[in-house]
Amino acid sequence: MRNRDPATYSAISVTLRTSGMAMAVSLLLGLPLGYLLGYFDFRFKKQIRIVVDTLLSLPTVFIGLVIYALLTRNGPLGEAGLLFTIPGIAVGQAILALPIVIALTATAVEASDRNLRITLMSLGANRFQIAKSTLWEVRLGLLAAAVTATGRVLTEVGISLMVGGNIKWHTRTITTAIALETNKGEFGMGIALGLVLLLIALTVNISLTGLRRRI
Amino acid sequence: MDIYQIKDIDHYYGDKQVLSIEDISIQAASIVGLIGPNGSGKSTLLKLLGFLEEPTYGAILFKGKKVAFFSDEVRFRVTLLTQAPYLMRRSVFDNVVYGLKIRKDTKDLRSRVGRALDLVGLDPENFAKRKWYELSGGEAQRVALAARLVLKPEVLLLDEPTASVDADSARLIRKASLQAREEWGATLVVATHDWQWLYETCDSVMHLLHGRLFKNGLGSAVYGPWKFGAEGFLHKEFDDGQVLVVPTPEEGKKLAILDPSRMKISLPGKDPLLKWKIDTLNGFVTRLFLERNGEMVQVDIKVVELVITMRLALDKVEEFKLYPGKKVSIAYDPRDIEWF
Repeated sequence: MRNRDPATYSAISVTLRTSGMAMAVSLLLGLPLGYLLGYFDFRFKKQIRIVVDTLLSLPTVFIGLVIYALLTRNGPLGEAGLLFTIPGIAVGQAILALPIVIALTATAVEASDRNLRITLMSLGANRFQIAKSTLWEVRLGLLAAAVTATGRVLTEVGISLMVGGNIKWHTRTITTAIALETNKGEFGMGIALGLVLLLIALTVNISLTGLRRRI
Repeated sequence: MDIYQIKDIDHYYGDKQVLSIEDISIQAASIVGLIGPNGSGKSTLLKLLGFLEEPTYGAILFKGKKVAFFSDEVRFRVTLLTQAPYLMRRSVFDNVVYGLKIRKDTKDLRSRVGRALDLVGLDPENFAKRKWYELSGGEAQRVALAARLVLKPEVLLLDEPTASVDADSARLIRKASLQAREEWGATLVVATHDWQWLYETCDSVMHLLHGRLFKNGLGSAVYGPWKFGAEGFLHKEFDDGQVLVVPTPEEGKKLAILDPSRMKISLPGKDPLLKWKIDTLNGFVTRLFLERNGEMVQVDIKVVELVITMRLALDKVEEFKLYPGKKVSIAYDPRDIEWF
C-alpha cells in the first residue's frame, strides 16, 4: 500500500462521505416507510411489498445509468448540477439502500409480537408514540437493516463510476479506484485498496456490534 | 353510576361475527368476572371496553358519554392487561414508567415505581434494574400489572391474568388488583377461569358463549354430535349410554345450554322426579364451593364429560349430605334448554 498516499486518503474520504450521506437519507426515509409498510394493513400492501422486494436486486449500474440520465446537463434534473459530484453519488446510493432499509424494517415490524401494539395502546401511547416505541422494540432488526444497507452502499461501484465519473481528488471512491488500478494492471494496488475497504467495513461492524450490546 | 353502558353491539372480524351483546351496564368501582370457553369473545369484549377496537355496530358509552375509539378521553383512564404479558425490551423500571412518561407525569418516578412493584409483591431493590429477559413468567405478568397499576387507571381490564402463572403469583395478582379498587376505586373487568376470582372477588359474573351473553350465569354448554329423537327433539348420547334430550335448534345455533337454575337435584331413586315429563341425568359431585356470602354453595356435578354447576342453598347441601363423589340425579325439562 502506498504509505500515506494523499490520493488514497481522498478516495477513503469520498467513500465515507458518499456512504454516510446515502445512509443518512435512506434511514431517514426508509425507517418510517418501512414502519408504515410493516405496521398497517392497507390495499395493495402485498403488491407494494413485492415491488420493494424486487428493488432489493436493483443492479447498481442501472441505478447509475438512470441517475446519470436524470442529472446530465440536458437531463430533467440537469439544472441541479449534481452530476460528477459527491451528493450525486449519494443520491444514487440512497436509492440503492432505500429498498433494503424499507424491506428489512417492515419485516422486523411485522415480526414483532402482536401484543406489543395492544400493550402500547393500553398504556396510553398515541400513534406517534406507538411508532417510536415499536421501532425501538425492533431496534436489533433495524440495526441489521442498517448494516446490510451500509455494506451494499460501501461496496457498490456502478453508481460511483457512472454518476461520479471517477474523478481523482474529487469523486474517486475506493471501489472506483480499485476498478481503475485493475485496468492499469496494478493488481497489488487494487488488492490493497480492497483491504482498506474491508477494514472500513470491519470498523463499522465492530462499532455497531458494540451498539447492539449496549441497547 | 354506570361506568360502561353497552348499547346493542355487534362486532365482526371480516365476515365472522364474534360478538353480539344487547344492553348491559357495568357499575363504577365494581368487579365484573367474564367467563366463557376459549373463543367465546372474552378478549374481544375486553378490547372493545378498552376502546382499542371499535365495535362494528352499536356503541359503548363511557360514563354515559359516547367516546371516540382510541381517544385521549379514554386512553389515559382505561388500561388492559393482555393474557400473554408483553414486556418491552427494556428494564423493569423502564417498563413500569412507560405509561407515566407517555402522560408526561414524571414526578417521583422512583418512589411510584417502587410502590407499584411492592403492590405486586416484587422487591423494587431487587427487580427495578432487571432486564425483561431476567424474569419468570409470573414475575413478568406482575411487572406488566405494575405498569398498569402505577397509572392508577379508572378501569383495569384483565384478560386471564392468572391463567399461566404459579399459585403464588396468582394470589399476588389478585391481591394487587383488589387493591386498585380499594385505593382509588378502580373498576375491574376480569376474564378468567379462576374460580377464586369469580366467587371470592367478583360482584357479578357475565357468561359469554359464542360471542353472546348467557343471561343466567352458570350455563353449561353441550356440544354435538346430535341424533334425531322423537317429536322435534334431538338426543345427545353420552359414552355411558345416558341420553340428554334437547329441543330442535333454530337455524344457525350450535350450542345447547343447560340452565342449572332450572334443574333440580335429588338422590338417585329417592325422588319421584319422573312423574312429570321430566328427564334425568345421573352423575356425581366433584366439587363443593362456598360462595363469598356464605349462603350459597356451588356444586359441580359431572355427568360423563359434562360438568353442571348448580347453586344450592347451604341447607339443601346439608339435606342431601353432598360431598365430592356422592352420586346424584339431575332432573330437567328439555324445553328449558336453550340454543346458542
